[in-house]
Amino acid sequence: MRQTILQALEQAYSNLVHMIAEFLPRFLVMLIIIVLGLLVAFVLKHILRALLGLTKLDRVSEQAGASRVLRMAALPSMTELLSRSVFWVTWSGFVLVGLSILGVPGLQEQISRLFRFLPEVFIAILILFLGLVTANFLSRTALLAVVNAGHPSPRIFSWSIRFVICILAISMALEELGLARQTVISAFSIVFGALMLALAIAFGLGGQDLARKSLQRYLGDTKKEKDKEPQPL
Amino acid sequence: MAEDTFLADDLLRQLMSVGEVDLLVGISSHGNAIAVSQAVHAIEQSFQQEFIRQRVVIVHVDGGDNDGDGAAAAGLSALAEKDVRLPGRASLRTVHRVKADFSSPPSPGIALHTILAAADLLRARACAVISTATSNLTPGGIANLLRPVYQGKFDFVAPLYTRHKYQGLLARNLLYPMSRAVFGCGIRELYSDEWGFSGRLAALCLNQNVWHEEAIRARPEAWMAISAISSEFRCCQAFLGQKSQSTKGSGTDIVEALRQTVGNLFWCLECRQSWWLDCDKSEPVPTIGPDHELTSEPSDLNRHRIFEMFRSGVTELEPILSSILDPETHAEIKSIASLEEQTFRFRSDLWVRTLYDFAASYHHAVINRDHLVQALAPLYRGMTYSFLVAHSDSSPDEMEAESEMLCVEFERQKPYLRERWKANVEVKS
Repeated sequence: MRQTILQALEQAYSNLVHMIAEFLPRFLVMLIIIVLGLLVAFVLKHILRALLGLTKLDRVSEQAGASRVLRMAALPSMTELLSRSVFWVTWSGFVLVGLSILGVPGLQEQISRLFRFLPEVFIAILILFLGLVTANFLSRTALLAVVNAGHPSPRIFSWSIRFVICILAISMALEELGLARQTVISAFSIVFGALMLALAIAFGLGGQDLARKSLQRYLGDTKKEKDKEPQPL
Repeated sequence: MAEDTFLADDLLRQLMSVGEVDLLVGISSHGNAIAVSQAVHAIEQSFQQEFIRQRVVIVHVDGGDNDGDGAAAAGLSALAEKDVRLPGRASLRTVHRVKADFSSPPSPGIALHTILAAADLLRARACAVISTATSNLTPGGIANLLRPVYQGKFDFVAPLYTRHKYQGLLARNLLYPMSRAVFGCGIRELYSDEWGFSGRLAALCLNQNVWHEEAIRARPEAWMAISAISSEFRCCQAFLGQKSQSTKGSGTDIVEALRQTVGNLFWCLECRQSWWLDCDKSEPVPTIGPDHELTSEPSDLNRHRIFEMFRSGVTELEPILSSILDPETHAEIKSIASLEEQTFRFRSDLWVRTLYDFAASYHHAVINRDHLVQALAPLYRGMTYSFLVAHSDSSPDEMEAESEMLCVEFERQKPYLRERWKANVEVKS
């Protein structure tokens, strides 16, 4: 009996030593990979920042209205955002590779799922970003057009366009992530439909005079109104 | 040769059969048979009356044969020959007619590129471009564009017109004084439908790699004038008579006019910056014939609407204007926008500073450039309102004196433009 207990203890000790002997090198390799990843990510971040500085990306981003969107979201400049993203993506990749070396079965499964999900996350972020930039550009185009045409309430037009495009971009991004797909589609349809209906009712009932004037201006007597300004050339 | 790459074989065959010429007149049309017929008639009359011994050619650039223009043009030669001959003054030379057909209406830039290539190939000494949009161009007017080049050795001839005193305010208050201050050469009508040029200027412009640019495709004439000025070619102005209302183009659409002209002028500033940044000269341009004239028939302009559009524009476009204008300039504009209509006045120094801010912001591309030019429209309306109020009872001489003072103000503030142009603009993050 005593002999059996001692043997079991010896066996357990031997297993523990064996496990530690097996785990420690893997742990060390993981640490080396993570530190190496940190260095690689740091170098890549600085190289990318210098390259983007040379290409004057921030100026292009300012022109396209993307910088304004970033400022509204309290984010840094486009160059800084991209270089930081590259840093975190690179380092996260190294960390995940390092963790997978530990060989923990449950963890490995989660890591592989995360790797499969990453492209969709990136595409969703890209859709969201492009949507916000487009919304900004088109709302500014609408604002200028409405102001220069002399129509009332130009900001309502501008904000409506920005709102609709932002809603569309958010629902497309969520759709890409596969989050509550049916709910998102239904919510978008309801919001968009309600908005259009509200605009139609508001314009048709609340703004009969405005509707009449606008239609007259567009379809009929445009010249009379325009001719009241001197010919510029 | 540059022209080998884009002139159609048929056009090349026509040009080779003409040989060398002394004078070339180019017409660009978009299938308006009656206008083309009138223009060709005027050109041929001009050749018959003024250039009897010269070898001449008419190059007609046309696109979109959508209203029977082809049929009209086919019968045009015979018709013109029959109608135009003047007793005792018939030309000793054949008037050659060359037609460049495009499947769709060519842009003004493409039309000019074709005319320049033809002029280069035919070794033309003096050329003129006229538009079918101006229906009242006389044979004398066409001769006025060609003669200074052919006989006076000028390289660029800009037109001068008789105008209503409220017509062409964009040219009077912006294009003329700003181009004069920046490029040092006072051409009044930098943007016009007709102008004259020499064969050597045609060759110079033909070899520039700009023909793909949108600014050149839409309005190439100012760029051609500025090319002449910056290459130290001789420029002059010639009187053509009454300025007709253009049947095509921007008309009274201020935003479209700003896009075509101010956007184009800012682009010219950008592409000629190495020249004008170091240029301090300001030379008068010789005028052939009478100077420009002003008439003052009554007009029914809606001043109140113009002022309201200025005021609402300044309020609604505040975020856009704040990214374009210097903070001090923007504050002053907001301050005058809050004034009552009766007391409002857009001071000339503020107007000049505003325009220089816009030009520098265009250069630094602080926002989309088309948006930037559109954002100028409300401010231009403010200046227009101020002008209409100030000159409701002014005589042409008083208006001319005021215009000269504005030009001087543009020249005085040129160092401000240089400073803002060269400044390093920090892109805020």
